[in-house]
Amino acid sequence: MLIQVVNLQKIYRMGPVQVEALKGVSFQIEAGEFVAIIGPSGSGKSTLMHILGCLDQPTGGHYYLEGQDVSTVSDNELAEIRNKKIGFVFQQFNLLPKANILQNVCVPLIYGGVRGRRRQLKLAEEALRQVGLGDRLHHRPNEISGGQKQRVAIARALINNPSLILADEPTGNLDSKTGQEILGIFRHLNEEGHTIVIVTHDPEIAKQARRVIQIRDGLVQKDEVIA
Amino acid sequence: MILEILRMAFDSLTVNKLRSFLSMLGIIIGVGAVIAIVSVGSGARSQVTSQISQLGSNLITISPGIRRGTSGRISFTATDLFTMELAAQIRQNCPSVGRIMPNVQTSGLLIAGSNNYQTQVVGVTPVYQQIYNFYPARGQFITEEHEANAINVMVLGSGLAQELFPETDPLGQTVKLFARNRNYLFVVVGVMEEKGTGAWGNIENQAFIPASVIMKKINNRKYVNGYTAQAVSAAAAKAAVGEIEYFLTRYLGSADRFRVTSQEQLLETITQVTGTLSLMLGGIAGISLLVGGIGIMNIMLVSVTERTREIGIRKALGAKSRHIMAQFIIEALTMSGLGGLLGIGLGWVGAVGVARIGGWPLVVTHTSILVAFSFSLLVGVFFGIYPARKASKLDPVIALSYE
Ligand SMILES: Nc1ncnc2c1ncn2[C@@H]1O[C@H](COP(=O)(O)OP(=O)(O)O)[C@@H](O)[C@H]1O
Ligand SMILES: [Mg+2]
Repeated sequence: MLIQVVNLQKIYRMGPVQVEALKGVSFQIEAGEFVAIIGPSGSGKSTLMHILGCLDQPTGGHYYLEGQDVSTVSDNELAEIRNKKIGFVFQQFNLLPKANILQNVCVPLIYGGVRGRRRQLKLAEEALRQVGLGDRLHHRPNEISGGQKQRVAIARALINNPSLILADEPTGNLDSKTGQEILGIFRHLNEEGHTIVIVTHDPEIAKQARRVIQIRDGLVQKDEVIA
Repeated sequence: MILEILRMAFDSLTVNKLRSFLSMLGIIIGVGAVIAIVSVGSGARSQVTSQISQLGSNLITISPGIRRGTSGRISFTATDLFTMELAAQIRQNCPSVGRIMPNVQTSGLLIAGSNNYQTQVVGVTPVYQQIYNFYPARGQFITEEHEANAINVMVLGSGLAQELFPETDPLGQTVKLFARNRNYLFVVVGVMEEKGTGAWGNIENQAFIPASVIMKKINNRKYVNGYTAQAVSAAAAKAAVGEIEYFLTRYLGSADRFRVTSQEQLLETITQVTGTLSLMLGGIAGISLLVGGIGIMNIMLVSVTERTREIGIRKALGAKSRHIMAQFIIEALTMSGLGGLLGIGLGWVGAVGVARIGGWPLVVTHTSILVAFSFSLLVGVFFGIYPARKASKLDPVIALSYE
């Protein structure tokens, strides 16, 4: 079992006001699955993804990643897990604007302690070729299209061979045709054996996953496997 | 990893060249000031000390003591103590004293033909030459015989010789000295070598006559103003001072009646004074460095805020707090280090300029460069830590949602 979340809760405290973003979410995800998480805006999808991605920690419940309870580990260990086990793809792409795309893809290698600049660059180039960007290596993010940016982000997410790829509305900033192309990459990666969890509010996209978890008001409303 | 972080730091500095330069300015000026001030201080000091040690670092001056006036009593200078005989006694009783001569002088108008010159006339004995390392270039100096018989002979400083005898050879000529309302006639027997203006004022324009002539014929006093002694070696100067003090205290009955100062003490005092001065100016330069550090901190804080999102991205990709910390500290260090290097250049140029104006040797020590540079790095670390910590503590989710 790759992921097990048990009664996961997240409460945001802003002074006297409390926002219960997650009210007790439980599910399991096996290695090799392709899961879509859907739900209306504000239902807690991003909050859940941040916790799954070890960017944030729950205020209640447990999150087991590959059997390890990560709801209690230190910040340093979380950083290590983010680097080694998780590839995160954002709606906003989140590339470093001043670095070229090759350098962008190198960043997780640097923090992962992969030695040798030449080796890093070679690995990054391979990853970019996989997503069809072998000819844009030295462009900066502002010199390529949205779809291409998201491909760079995917290459970056893949570079350390993570056991889990998380994508929070990866097609949200793209037109539907480009969105489909990006989704195609995720499906292809899943066929190669990668575990993928993707957040979307587009039912057309959700349909292409193999399992859909529906969230509403911080709770799992429906969890169904599509044929 | 370090290399990559260094390059990252450099890249981010070059993106905002003008801003980076302006933030470095404080450090540049501070380091420049430190280098220039230390150099000016040591240049001036080395000039003064070299002038003094040219005279011989083993010179000792014995002068009358000053008794302070307390509760109604008037202060007075103890005179009428030092005789020629006492000089001989000091030499006999103090084994570290090699040579000793009396200090007597008068001032007067020297007249040769139609030329005249108002100047200092120094009473000397033959040892004057060795004590001051100052010899005649032509003719001879005052001899034992001149001194013993109080003969009216005169040796002219090279400048004075020019003044009195611009056209003729002064040797063998007669010079009239008008002093204390009387005229005395002297025969010129020598002209001193040129030495340039030294620490003791213009010795080139002095005249030298036997000490006994001043005492017996001009002043009509058997007392002299004091003595100049020379220790047998520079190393023996301290011992000589002690011996003289011991002997004179017993001989004169009180330590209040005389003062003994060695050239070495004078040097020490000068070193101290210039040291204090450089320290003070260095302190002011240090404040400038501090202000420079605050400038760097300010710009680093701005940079952390501007790059909140970048920090979030890096953290999401696995950067630990220490990686972020290192990144920003190295950035601050790069800024302060670069500022330090530019400051060293600026200080050097300043030191060269001032040394040229002041006419002293250019002294830029490795120590001052090293100290100023390390201090600027220290400033970078010190003022970089707070912004860097701030950056490293950012929550990744919050940082990622920063617009
Ligand atoms: N940092 C935060 N501080 C306070 N409230 C938050 C924070 N992040 C999210 N929320 C609240 O938590 C709820 C869930 O948000 P989110 O997980 O972003 O929803 P979704 O991604 O499904 O649109 C919302 O009500 C949102 O306002
Ligand atoms: Mg969201």
